[in-house]
Amino acid sequence: MKIIFNTIRENIRTPWGIWLAVLSMFLLSALVAGLSVFWFGLSITNLTDLVPWGLWITIDLSSIAVSAGAFSLCAGVYLFGLKRYAPIARTATFVGLIGYTMAMLALILDIGRPDRFWKSLVYWNTHSLLWEVTMCVMLYLTVLLLETMPILASFEWLRKKYPRVAEKMEGVHHYAPVLAIIGLGLSSLHQSSLGAVYGVIKARPIWYKPEMAVMFMFSAIVGGIAMTLFASMLSARLTPKAKVNDMLVERVAQFLGYLMIGYLYFRAWDWLAQTYTYEPGRTEAFRLLTSGTLSFNFWFGEMIFGAIIPTFILLYKPARLSPFWRMLGLAMIVGGVVAFRFDTNIVGFLAVISYLPGEAMVSYTHYTPSLVEWVSGLGIIAYGLLAFSIGVKYLRVVDHRITSEEHATVRVNAGETVQA
Amino acid sequence: MTENSFNRRDFIKLSGIGLAVAAGVSTITKVEASEAVKGEHQWAMVIDQSKCTGCDQCNLACHAHNDINPDIQWNKVLDAGEINGKKIYLPRPCMQCEHAPCVEVCPVGASYYREDGIVMMDYDKCIGCRYCQVACPYDARSFNWEAFTGDNPVVPEWGEPEVERRPRGVPEKCSFCYNRIDRGMAVGLVPGVDAEATPACVVVCPTGARAFGDLNDPTSNVSQILRKHPSYRLRENLGTNPRVYYLPATEEEIVEG
Repeated sequence: MKIIFNTIRENIRTPWGIWLAVLSMFLLSALVAGLSVFWFGLSITNLTDLVPWGLWITIDLSSIAVSAGAFSLCAGVYLFGLKRYAPIARTATFVGLIGYTMAMLALILDIGRPDRFWKSLVYWNTHSLLWEVTMCVMLYLTVLLLETMPILASFEWLRKKYPRVAEKMEGVHHYAPVLAIIGLGLSSLHQSSLGAVYGVIKARPIWYKPEMAVMFMFSAIVGGIAMTLFASMLSARLTPKAKVNDMLVERVAQFLGYLMIGYLYFRAWDWLAQTYTYEPGRTEAFRLLTSGTLSFNFWFGEMIFGAIIPTFILLYKPARLSPFWRMLGLAMIVGGVVAFRFDTNIVGFLAVISYLPGEAMVSYTHYTPSLVEWVSGLGIIAYGLLAFSIGVKYLRVVDHRITSEEHATVRVNAGETVQA
Repeated sequence: MTENSFNRRDFIKLSGIGLAVAAGVSTITKVEASEAVKGEHQWAMVIDQSKCTGCDQCNLACHAHNDINPDIQWNKVLDAGEINGKKIYLPRPCMQCEHAPCVEVCPVGASYYREDGIVMMDYDKCIGCRYCQVACPYDARSFNWEAFTGDNPVVPEWGEPEVERRPRGVPEKCSFCYNRIDRGMAVGLVPGVDAEATPACVVVCPTGARAFGDLNDPTSNVSQILRKHPSYRLRENLGTNPRVYYLPATEEEIVEG
């Protein structure tokens, strides 16, 4: 107890201590908010029968999207044989594990009966896209846990105390290619069906289109890679514990720039197709995006700052070579994907289509997240930041000097200290 | 990868075959799952907008018999414009769709079809994800944001509760008073003919604007009305095939409230 107290006292004035203190504050207030949601129910949120999915769903969709670096980079490393990018894939895997647990936390808050969470695994409606997403997410979370075993094995305390367990956990990396393939399958399934969750809803014409799945998949890939690179670069600037090989990051960033062109291509066609003809409900909802309440989010968040400018930054060599501009571009892409997820979800609810014959077709509703939604939502993000910080500091999550070959040869004897 | 590792090509081949088989199987089961098993009876409701005066008694009876929170309406009575200065109304129960989006999307199968076409809610299975609400084209589902505690203000004046209250955290909707149908039929009554076996809203309607019966029976009340009169259903273009039919209000038949 005294040791813990002393550690806290030693660390509290360091930047690390302040960072932990700030995150803990967010986490504690989120704990209070979360418990009050469980106690008082969803009536204390600003969700309504007209807008039943709000901020938490955005956090859920976004954290799954920015986790997509795990499958796309692992596929690159283990399927296409781009082995030298393995250290980046390692970071992406850890980011993925955090992102998916964040999504789980958001979902447990969001469902009306958190006590029945287990029923989603026991009772199956295989026709439901949400069933498919649930299954894939649970299975993929298992894959991610296995994929991060070698990372968790580098926890010094574990290696000292239980060297055999650590060795076993490290051994999992032999199965990395298999896990990458399974992960690729599960991820491509649910990243796209997450879009299809919206895409199959006939009742809301702004969503009802097959490209929903494609755009969710594509935006997840760019967002996931951008998140991984940004997190790696930021950690390397903030702590000596993180080491990046800037050449590797720069190459992936350039590749990401090309991917962004593909993403913009899909978004442009989606945009053009929706302006072509009047479709009751769809056109009104689309106008909310282009000239209504969501237009700032749409034009600046999703398009200009979220996609167009970062594409230029990542493809224009002098800008890409500057760490500042590259990081800015990467952060913008992440922001753009979050804005896309937020707008996509909310726009389908804000324009309410009437089912009365001969009536004005569309009316509008509002949604602003309540304090309790914000506090608990920010707490989920704080959890993600905390988990990643701990990973960087204690598990060498961002360390581009590590290669999988090295990994295999490292054997630790009891009592031996591992060089970080 | 070291010597004990796999041949990448083999693995891709194998997983490709696996994925194809899985996709095939799931497509087949998905097609089957979207089809409801149709039984002997197919219950339907006909609402004559010429006769509806917007008195809201159907709603009150519904609240009493199904013990519904006053904040929630299973059977909203909406203003539907005017014809020559006479107001017309549109009562909206659950449409009991043949291809119900809520049943299709529910991840746990808490929404399901009965063989007689009624779209049911298993309130014990529901996890409260609200995807059914998002998918319903008719806004027919209401979420229990809070628990309904205390007295029901319309009991006993408008009837006695016949079903359990729903808990906090699940959406609820009109059930065509399946409980009345089942109880009535068990003692040999005919839904749509005998009041005890007919949905409460149909029984209470003072102008007889609602009819209820079996679409499979050509002699039933609803079958006869639908043969004689032009009718429409809500958002028919979506292909949900609702089992609630409306007879549009006409100038000469309109009843003033």
